[in-house]
Amino acid sequence: MRNMKFRSLILYFVIFAFFAGLGYYIFEFTRESRDWAFSPVNRHLSNGSLSGGKIFDTNGEILAQTVSGKRVYHENEDIRKAVLHTVGDGSTLISTSVQSRYNAGLFGYNFVTGFGAPDYFSSNQDITLTLDSKICASVSKKFGDKKGTALAYNYKTGEVICMVSLPTYDVNNRPDFSKDTDGKYDGVYLNRALSAAYTPGSVFKIFTAMAGIENLSDAETRKYECEKVKIIDGEKVTCMQNHGKLDLKTALSKSCDIAFCDIAIELGKEKMTRALEKFGFNSSQYFEGIELTKSVYDVNLASKADLGWSGIGQYTDTLNPMHMLKIMGTLANEGNLVEPFVVKSFSVSGAKENQKLTKTSEKSVISKITAGKMKEMMRFTMKNQYNDSLFGGIPMCAKTGTAEVGEDKLPHGWMVGFSYDEKFPIAFVVVVENGDFGIKSAGPIAGAMVKEMHGIFAKSK
Amino acid sequence: MKTMFSLLLYSIQLILPFMAILIAYCCFRTLFKSLKPMRPLVVLLNRATGEKIPIMYWENSIGRDRHCDIVLNMPSISRDHAVFYRRKGGWFISDTNSKVGVLLNGKKIESDEKIFIGDVINIGGVALELCRADVLSLKNRESEDADFDYDTYSGGGLLVLVTIFQVLSTLSVCFGSGKFDYKPAVLSGIMLLFEWLVFVVTKFGFKRDNFEIEAIAMFLSGIGVVNLCGVDINDAFTQLIAMALGIILFEIIVLLIKHADFCMKLRPYVAFFALALLAVNLVFGKVKNGSQNWIMIGGYSIQPSEFVKVAFIFLGASTLKGIQTTKNLTWFILFSAACMGALFLMGDFGTACIFFVTFILIAFMRSGSIRTVVLTCATAALGVAFILNFKPYIMTRFSAWRHVWEHPNDIGYQQTRVLTYSASGGLLGLGVGKGCLKYVFAAPSDLVFGMLCEEWGMILGIIVLLMIVLLAIYVRHAGVRSRSAFYTISSCCAAGMMTFQMIMNVFGVTDMLPLTGVTLPFVSLGGSSLVSVWALMAFIKASDERTYSRG
Repeated sequence: MRNMKFRSLILYFVIFAFFAGLGYYIFEFTRESRDWAFSPVNRHLSNGSLSGGKIFDTNGEILAQTVSGKRVYHENEDIRKAVLHTVGDGSTLISTSVQSRYNAGLFGYNFVTGFGAPDYFSSNQDITLTLDSKICASVSKKFGDKKGTALAYNYKTGEVICMVSLPTYDVNNRPDFSKDTDGKYDGVYLNRALSAAYTPGSVFKIFTAMAGIENLSDAETRKYECEKVKIIDGEKVTCMQNHGKLDLKTALSKSCDIAFCDIAIELGKEKMTRALEKFGFNSSQYFEGIELTKSVYDVNLASKADLGWSGIGQYTDTLNPMHMLKIMGTLANEGNLVEPFVVKSFSVSGAKENQKLTKTSEKSVISKITAGKMKEMMRFTMKNQYNDSLFGGIPMCAKTGTAEVGEDKLPHGWMVGFSYDEKFPIAFVVVVENGDFGIKSAGPIAGAMVKEMHGIFAKSK
Repeated sequence: MKTMFSLLLYSIQLILPFMAILIAYCCFRTLFKSLKPMRPLVVLLNRATGEKIPIMYWENSIGRDRHCDIVLNMPSISRDHAVFYRRKGGWFISDTNSKVGVLLNGKKIESDEKIFIGDVINIGGVALELCRADVLSLKNRESEDADFDYDTYSGGGLLVLVTIFQVLSTLSVCFGSGKFDYKPAVLSGIMLLFEWLVFVVTKFGFKRDNFEIEAIAMFLSGIGVVNLCGVDINDAFTQLIAMALGIILFEIIVLLIKHADFCMKLRPYVAFFALALLAVNLVFGKVKNGSQNWIMIGGYSIQPSEFVKVAFIFLGASTLKGIQTTKNLTWFILFSAACMGALFLMGDFGTACIFFVTFILIAFMRSGSIRTVVLTCATAALGVAFILNFKPYIMTRFSAWRHVWEHPNDIGYQQTRVLTYSASGGLLGLGVGKGCLKYVFAAPSDLVFGMLCEEWGMILGIIVLLMIVLLAIYVRHAGVRSRSAFYTISSCCAAGMMTFQMIMNVFGVTDMLPLTGVTLPFVSLGGSSLVSVWALMAFIKASDERTYSRG
């Protein structure tokens, strides 16, 4: 019998295996339980039975709230659709939405009680957004059945007033995406403003112009020669028109491809890349801590003609809309960036006091001189090329882009810009996927958006 | 009013884990306190030298080998010469194939011979006289007992605690849906009545004072039944029936294995029965959830492999005499191979794993040979490599392991649900019946740990696991006090088997191990599983020296 005492020690192998496993599981649980709880597969979230805090827009419209155990969204379908990507749908499928990011606060989740604490104890937080849901709704409708994104923010305060992403859907009437065969709902859970990067086309010329101004002493004064077609090492680069001789300002306003192709080739791969990386390409950019899809400028393998194309926003260039919005805000604000944000404040349900979020202060990104020059050039473009009537006479600085994306597809239409007058500090970015010419597709949306914001701005003054 | 009510309900949610801690504490404190310091039972007096050899155990090996309980280092004595053991009728000696044999009062013994006080046994020339323990002039018993701390809890007290816990958890599930549902209360009432009936019968009918093992098992299976009330009242009822059958089987086995030598005689029948069960399963088995380990009897599906587990432990265990006389494990190895082969054919790899680990436990407990364990593991590794070589698709069953979040809607479905809902429940849980995991396939059976964490809270989930592990620690400590090596081996291996099965289940569903679809002992939905785990508890009960002390 005595040796049984020793032999039964083998049981401790099993016992130790258990404790090792349990210890590791508890370790994983403490680290990851929040991610697990808010995973998209959790029906506690998607069936909306959890009591959650309210989400307001900037005017106090309730965009989401819990009423007798059910998550209820705004009563207007257009508003529900327009703010979907910012507010979220109750699950964490739209991972960049406020309901996904601040779910712990909104739904009173904590490690100890899980979702189980009775309402009496729960400290659901309310969230106020900077969005104007009405503007979002009318802008969103303007897209028709096109995909894309529209963004606008106050470049002095950082408040994002409009952020819409298309396609969208009604949370109260979710379509069956599995039956979507014609791609109508492709990437529906993505907020395209944050999680997409498009071929920029001519809006990229803003960057090439800045690279030229900062690296070539005569970039603004010299004359560029455009004969519609230019052969570089046997490869063709073509322009829309034969512009003849023109300076940088005119080249930007007429969107002359040859001029910017020349600048890119003259600067060469290294200087172009260095300049673009200074503007935020090829590195992680953030919006409220969300990592944006990177804007990419990569000419490592480019031929000389490719390098030329890269200077006019083709080749492999891609640009993230929110990144572009920040650049617009920076140019408008004398080279200083005020970081955009969409969550204005948190407050505990019922409590009066709001907890203000600390916003990042201004930071200098582009030199004041370059920013000033660009502002004037884009104002010139707006005035001479597009006509101020697009924005109802409000003086704006803008540039359009028409990005070729393939033989059989319509190009992506871009319009980016900002107000000339700092008393109405607005910067905007509009992208319409396969929308045709920028001025034709993105232009009217940008125009309507700015006019509506201006109307509200004038009223509040 | 409504707020008050929800607060009251939630306070149950807070009380349950602490009740569970209290129950675990009281049960195991009593169990460990019952392990009194060991005292010599009798004394063997060496006539030649006058040496007094205290006999501590119920079964003692005598021989030249230094591992023997009584070491007699004389060249004439075999390594394992004889076994000197105690049974109901007194002390016995048995020659275990020694060279020169054993003489009792000068006559050579043929088989087991009873020895009386004053008798002299001669082992290879050494004369030993059986004397009472008091020749050792120890302190008298009373004073020693007084030194001992008897701060323990009576069986009735433990059952009161379990009852309070079950009443509270039943209240929680009755109000789970917001409105009062009487059915769980009725079910729980029947369960409590039955539990108290068992207590009364064992205390006054069988005159047994120890009730900790039953209390622990009732507590755990009670959680299983109440948990099911929140899912499907019919399943809960079936589970309750299984629990009752399990308890009855438990009592039958406890009575049946009262005499270890009788168990040894029963072994061929048990082996035949187990193999027949497996054969029937292989021929008539129904494929359910990917493995063919079910047979249908009168509308009920039964998992024969669960009962073979009990037989496996029974056949693996042996009295000391059995171990000393049959040195090799050939028959048991053949039996094990047949079991594991059948399980592989059924596609039940999880259970095959459990059998394998239990086999190693048994083999080591019986032989004490590390070489055997290493060889067995190496053989198994080769075998697995061989099988995978010919049937590589088996691996795809485990391809989700550590990648479940990449496949949340197919191969990682169950694991991701367990993790997300466990996290939703936090440490204190959402309340019994209020979870979402229960809607997931096989949640009340295989994924029940996730349900415990979601609805009862992670604290309670972990206490359930700890109680099973504590059982293993307890049997290991109680080990040599039992009345035969048969009980020591069977209890250790039963507890080890349950612990390992728990590891496979809990860490399988939480994606720490590949998911294999074995049940969590006591708590999982499954009649066969619950009955068999109660049957395994009988081995642990039998190893408790108090179990057979009266009656």
